[in-house]
Amino acid sequence: MSNDGFKKGLDALDQGPAPSDAPADGAPPQAGGLPPHPTVDALREQFGPGVLRHELVAGDEHIVYVPAERILEIMGWLRDQQGYDFLQDLTAIDYGGGRMIQVVYQLWSIQRKTNVRVKCELPLDGLEIDSVYFLWRAADWMEREVYDMFGVVFRGHPDLRRILMPYNYAEGHPLRKDFPLRGRFSRAEQTRRALSMKTEDHYSPGELETAHMLGQSVPDPFNQAETADQGGQFGGMGGAG
Amino acid sequence: MGLNDGPIQDQHRPQPVDAHGLSVHQGLPGQIQPATLEEGNLFSGQPGFLTTRLDAVVNWARRNSVWPMPFGTACCAIEMMASAATRYDLARFGMERMSFSPRQADLLICAGRVSYKMAPVLKKIWEQMPSPKWSISMGACASSGGVFDVYSMVQGIDTIIPVDVYVPGCPPRPEGLIYGILLIHEKIKQSAPTSEDEWNAVDMLPETGSYLPRDVVDRITLPFGNSTNQNRSSGLVSTGAVVRVSDRSP
Amino acid sequence: MALRRVVYNVTRNPELSAGGSLVHAPIVPVQGEAREVHEDFSGEHMLINIGPQHPATHGVLRLVLELDGETVIRCIPHIGYLHSSFEKLGEYRDWNQIVPLTDRMDYLAPLIYNCAYAMAVEKMMGITVTERCKVVRVILMELDRIFSHLLWLGTTGIDLGAFTVFLYTFQQREKIYDLHEDLTGARITTSSTRIGGMMADLPAGWIEKLEQFMTGFLPVLDEVDTLLTNNAIWIGRTQNVGGISGEDAVNFGLSGPNLRASGVPYDVRKDRPYYDYETYDFDVPVGEHGDIYDRYLCRMEEMRQSIRILRQAIDRLPGGPINIDDPRVILPPKTAAMNDMESMIHHFKVVMEGVRAPVGESWFSVESSKGELGMYVVSDGGSKPVRWRVRGPSFINIAALPHMIEGTLLSDVIAVNASLDIVLGEIDR
Repeated sequence: MSNDGFKKGLDALDQGPAPSDAPADGAPPQAGGLPPHPTVDALREQFGPGVLRHELVAGDEHIVYVPAERILEIMGWLRDQQGYDFLQDLTAIDYGGGRMIQVVYQLWSIQRKTNVRVKCELPLDGLEIDSVYFLWRAADWMEREVYDMFGVVFRGHPDLRRILMPYNYAEGHPLRKDFPLRGRFSRAEQTRRALSMKTEDHYSPGELETAHMLGQSVPDPFNQAETADQGGQFGGMGGAG
Repeated sequence: MGLNDGPIQDQHRPQPVDAHGLSVHQGLPGQIQPATLEEGNLFSGQPGFLTTRLDAVVNWARRNSVWPMPFGTACCAIEMMASAATRYDLARFGMERMSFSPRQADLLICAGRVSYKMAPVLKKIWEQMPSPKWSISMGACASSGGVFDVYSMVQGIDTIIPVDVYVPGCPPRPEGLIYGILLIHEKIKQSAPTSEDEWNAVDMLPETGSYLPRDVVDRITLPFGNSTNQNRSSGLVSTGAVVRVSDRSP
Repeated sequence: MALRRVVYNVTRNPELSAGGSLVHAPIVPVQGEAREVHEDFSGEHMLINIGPQHPATHGVLRLVLELDGETVIRCIPHIGYLHSSFEKLGEYRDWNQIVPLTDRMDYLAPLIYNCAYAMAVEKMMGITVTERCKVVRVILMELDRIFSHLLWLGTTGIDLGAFTVFLYTFQQREKIYDLHEDLTGARITTSSTRIGGMMADLPAGWIEKLEQFMTGFLPVLDEVDTLLTNNAIWIGRTQNVGGISGEDAVNFGLSGPNLRASGVPYDVRKDRPYYDYETYDFDVPVGEHGDIYDRYLCRMEEMRQSIRILRQAIDRLPGGPINIDDPRVILPPKTAAMNDMESMIHHFKVVMEGVRAPVGESWFSVESSKGELGMYVVSDGGSKPVRWRVRGPSFINIAALPHMIEGTLLSDVIAVNASLDIVLGEIDR
């Protein structure tokens, strides 16, 4: 029955924690114990000690851990030599308790139809990693989101600023485990900060500089009277809703 | 409805002040002071026979041609669109003309969750609507924050703008929204436009930026029960591997 | 008048305080990516702001455009006006309690999200659902694909001026609302899947109602086709507008009809099939030019192919249980829970403690109506996720909007925005 593995997993949960098979001195597990994946083998050949660990999860998903300093060359090699032209996902995981934050890259090769997941672990006092913006443009907003939610700085990203939270958000990085669900300020304070945003707070620094160079002031985004003559063409849709 | 004896206390009335000059919030039950109006002749500002007849006509005109301003953000907006579509037609109430410019709208239907980033937009749009104006808070998220008791969501738009009718649901069915609209029609029917002094905007308090003082905002946005402390409620089994910060109360 | 060439770009990472608020963001010249602006003293660029409250941006999206007359020089989208922190909220909810959250992200195709989430968690746990559940989920996902494309068609029609299309498509959507309601009790926020199965099996007569809908739907689709496909105004506004090449689309991470319209034949149902999609007989439309018109044609054809898949799925719908048999995961039937002690205890544990997932993680994606919807779930052995990440296709699709509209006219901005089929719930999460 194909559900055997799952039942074993739940039985193991019921039995409770068991001693680990990993060596006590913290040495990484032996290579070759897992089902082969062509990319992982090629990575090992090319980068040797650059492949810190290889894991298999969920039956068929291969994860490779790489050091953060070598991420750019490894990613470039994966894209150019191994054909991983599609960056499916770029995100981060915070396990809490002072543990390292993992930055996760999920790659897919459209030609070869293979997946691989690459992870980098960053210590909390050194949350910096090179950006892969110039390899895959899909990383543009995904890295901005990781920065916004976790505080990981991506070196070399041309425009790293908050994307989901307001630009002057001062409560921190929400998806960290030490960030409370309802935020660090009281609701009244959050309301006050939200309602006291000035026009400049709604614009990115690039736009403010652009406006300055054009010799204009930025349009107040919420004052329809100012933009009424320009926006009149969309203003009413013939009354039909 | 039925909480006070006089005309419906209108949130647009000027807020009375206490001894320190701070406005006294009158939006909560138990604090409503019904106004006393005496009979008078025409143009004296007091209701009389002719003015109440005029009121009836004005109210009839107003409620049969409410132009909604659909402030749709999320899922409730889809139900609002569905209520404007063919099965639950809003055109039978004269409301098919959804005005997207607030300057020409009477009724703000806030449909969907509002984040703190969106809050100044909502407030600005409310301020740009000319009086007389009413507002419907459609859905659980607009009324109280809904399922989203999180750092980025406004816990009820009544902390930002005054709300006339709350429509519960997630999302409310179009019939629910239409019932809310009919309640607005009732409210309009019972208002006294020719007897009121002025339509004043509600005070904006600097401590919150909205018309409610700080302690009221904190009190009405408290979480319900155990909803945000779930790391304990279903933590009968806890692996202890990952600790989630338990909730901070304001 | 001399043309003065100005090169400017914000390239250094902004300096931030410890709390993350912006302190200083200098402009420095850079090698590589820089935008050139030809500043001509006889003309003047203008910054305008569209949104976030706007009838045509399909939600609370804000676009700041730098215009030269009617031509767009630069576009900067601003999102986050609907950020409801689903991912953070998911860390405080059990595996089954997250299912209602998934409806509210893409509220135009909620069943696809429900199914995708359940499938990701089941993959992580190693659960294989029953055959009936697989076919039912395929039926629901294809039904919601049609549901979402219908809304896209209606709102794109409205944006480009064709109001009748909106009324026709919403009338068909009402029939799908009825189907949702019969199955799950709710029109939009269905929350119908559970880990290991479904909330409830198909009610009696549901398949007949579905077949009735399918019979009535194709003529309406043909009628909309007649109204739009060969319409000179429609063609004039959509052909050669907002195009993106295949390599650019792949590099930008586009997926779904947006990618396929640019000629890249990547469909998750074909390339990483799940739930026996390789045994269904269907085609995936792939365009050539990558403009709005090709995206429109792709989506219209996808609706027809979805009907084809639905017919096959209905034919092969097996009997049998809809949920798996393990009481640690699935609630026991109510009669059993009321009558025997063991079932009652299982019921109690599943409801109070939640389903416990062994340590592991899984990144799983399905082909949603908007593109490739990925769900990344990480478990630490408890009943709540350590991390639940949603790779919303619209988030990545909208990032390519500036690339598509720079150089086009202002009126094309609305058309391109509509053609990307975005939903702000999954952009802002």
